[in-house]
Amino acid sequence: MRNLLADWFENRTGLPSRLQSMRDEPLPAGPRWGYVCGSALLAILLIQAFTGLMMMTAYSASSSTAWGSVYYIEKQMWMGWLIRGLHHFGAQTVMVLAVVHLLQVLFAAAYRAPREVNWWLGLILLGLLVGFGHTGYQLPWDQKGYWATKVSTNIAGGAPVIGPYIKTVVVGGNEYGNQTVTRFYGLHVGILPVLLALTLGAHLALRYRHGLKPPADAAEKPKAVPSTYFPDQTFRNALAVTAVLGVMLGLVFWEGGAPLDAPADPSSADYPARPEWYFRFLFQMLKAFPGRLEWVGSIAVPGALMTTLALLPLLDKVIPSKILHFFVCAMAFTIAGGAGYLTLSSFREDAQNPAFHLAREKADKANERALFLASHPDFGIPPEGAGYLMRLDPLTRGSALLEKKCLGCHRLGEQGTDQQSAPDLKDFGSLAWIRGLLEKPDSPTYFGKTPECDGMTSWKKSSKLDAKQLDQVAQFVASFAKIPEGQTVDDWLNTPGVADHPGNELFQKDCGKCHLIDGYTEGGVQDAPDLFAWGSPQWMKRMIRKPGDAALYGYLEDKQRMPASPVDEMPDSDVSMIIRYLKGDYLKPNAP
Amino acid sequence: MNRRDFHRLGTRVLGALVKLAVAVPAAAFLLNPLRRKGDGGSETFESLVPLSQLPVGVPKSFGIVRDQIDGWVKYPKEPAGSVWLVRQPEGVEPAVVAFSAECPHLGCAINMGDDGKHFVCPCHTSAFDIEGKPQNQVPPRPMDRLDVELSKDADPIVRVRFQRFRTLAEEKIPLA
Repeated sequence: MRNLLADWFENRTGLPSRLQSMRDEPLPAGPRWGYVCGSALLAILLIQAFTGLMMMTAYSASSSTAWGSVYYIEKQMWMGWLIRGLHHFGAQTVMVLAVVHLLQVLFAAAYRAPREVNWWLGLILLGLLVGFGHTGYQLPWDQKGYWATKVSTNIAGGAPVIGPYIKTVVVGGNEYGNQTVTRFYGLHVGILPVLLALTLGAHLALRYRHGLKPPADAAEKPKAVPSTYFPDQTFRNALAVTAVLGVMLGLVFWEGGAPLDAPADPSSADYPARPEWYFRFLFQMLKAFPGRLEWVGSIAVPGALMTTLALLPLLDKVIPSKILHFFVCAMAFTIAGGAGYLTLSSFREDAQNPAFHLAREKADKANERALFLASHPDFGIPPEGAGYLMRLDPLTRGSALLEKKCLGCHRLGEQGTDQQSAPDLKDFGSLAWIRGLLEKPDSPTYFGKTPECDGMTSWKKSSKLDAKQLDQVAQFVASFAKIPEGQTVDDWLNTPGVADHPGNELFQKDCGKCHLIDGYTEGGVQDAPDLFAWGSPQWMKRMIRKPGDAALYGYLEDKQRMPASPVDEMPDSDVSMIIRYLKGDYLKPNAP
Repeated sequence: MNRRDFHRLGTRVLGALVKLAVAVPAAAFLLNPLRRKGDGGSETFESLVPLSQLPVGVPKSFGIVRDQIDGWVKYPKEPAGSVWLVRQPEGVEPAVVAFSAECPHLGCAINMGDDGKHFVCPCHTSAFDIEGKPQNQVPPRPMDRLDVELSKDADPIVRVRFQRFRTLAEEKIPLA
């Protein structure tokens, strides 16, 4: 029955005998380790295709969902880290094997007749693999991928004449977004694979047509027993593939998967974008071609190199073969050495650059935060997209806004510029802050740098409150921050613990002379803000929105006052982020 | 074993190893949904309506709104499904019966019949009486009853534990 089926299949397709003849391909020079590279490359490419297909069942290509789905693959799915890790390190392995394969063919002079076309196909394949690397790199739509995409598409955009058009088409417009992700995804999983399959198919067909190139000295050592491809060469291939896969698996286990940076953030000004290590030499070389010369480094030099390689089989006809071969081998060594040197110097430059370390540290922190928030049961990835993961986090968004909008005048502990002209906001509204103010109002932490707010300083000079009484006042004022929104002064005074607070009377007598609280203190001696609900989110919001309010610092002249932030400059959500950040109201990782 | 036999065996063994190294994680990856728990049901009760607002004997439909996790996205307060509540006459325990609106046949949403006295499924004409018992041969089992509890308030709030069950089965099997 089995034979019957096999015969029928053979009769209709001829496939089994074709495969058999491939297996029985004679190896005149015997099996060789030198032949394993192409096979290993093919095997890893198959693994890439397979792991890529797996990920297609979970990946979602859009600027709002890409990061989330990759996060899901990497951190939530069963062995997702292993699948993605294999794909990630497989991509690097493919690049290494492709270059080794190229050098091997070059050194063996296998570009000579009759293998010219296969040499060209190989060069096209190399270009396609670079395309795979570039298009795959950005698919997670994390910081790394986002900035790398910007750089690589801008390189394409810098090409003379047609560059800008190519860039617009590839990016899907002038903005990087959904269309960029879908286009790169289409290239990565559709267009490039088809081109690769066609080119690779032709490459392999020609390889069987011409056979493996025996080494130059093969004739000198005839083999006693004739070898065939299976099993003599296949065993070596299998060993090589196993070893390469072993290394890949080792790297995946070592890394615990593949890296995933924080979600893409077009507003981050200091992200230290770097390409994958195998593009580092190109990255470093670009530094030698500044400004308008950029296209020389990014397009002309690699282009000239590829053109030279492509012309080799033709040059072989006009230049004596041996001289040409010597020349190209020397060139290959020079380029490999140069690339190695550039790669090393790129890494060395980064290692010696404190600004890079700082930026990297910041990026790592953002990354850690993003992963923490995404995995937190009370947070998770919001429906708006992974970009909002950070935008809805008071720690990330609040600190960024505070730095941009407030720390020009204020300080936050060590943070802030040197032109401080307003109090330190670290722990603003807390017992420590108010106690410190009562102790030393003219310290730079409080109103020392705000000469127009000298009321507290003159109060301090005349105040007779001792340390214990200051503690009590401070505790009382610190309790204002807990006054709920919408509560009136009367309601508050009737709340248990307010009227009989040891600081109540002291506050009313000592502070109430200046600080008017309607229905509670008199005010009037000196201008001072209303302290009702001081330090609470609603008080801080009023302060940010309308510091010139009569109940706040309305008594100051315009130029002395803190500038207001109107809604069209800063939406309510942003104000709330700043306040929540200052109040420490955000998710914190549990202390280990 | 001669050299060529060793190579033959070695090729097969190593080839199998390489394939396994990729196939095992791939299988796990694809089977991931089997591993995820808690998609079908919930351990918590959802508050729906004060008892006083439910008329006796007249089925009322209520949407279940809760935080939903869809793959990697967390949707706060999204509709997850709906239930039918039928308040029982005074003195009958339990005071309220809750049915899942998901048809045990193939999962369409069960609606009220024109007469307001029986349930029908618009997809394949499953029909149930007011107690959820099948009235024709289409549904494999009665409508799925859900756990109900009443809060301790003066006017108790009806709370329902929303769960999903396997369709087509004759038994009520909760989805893990």
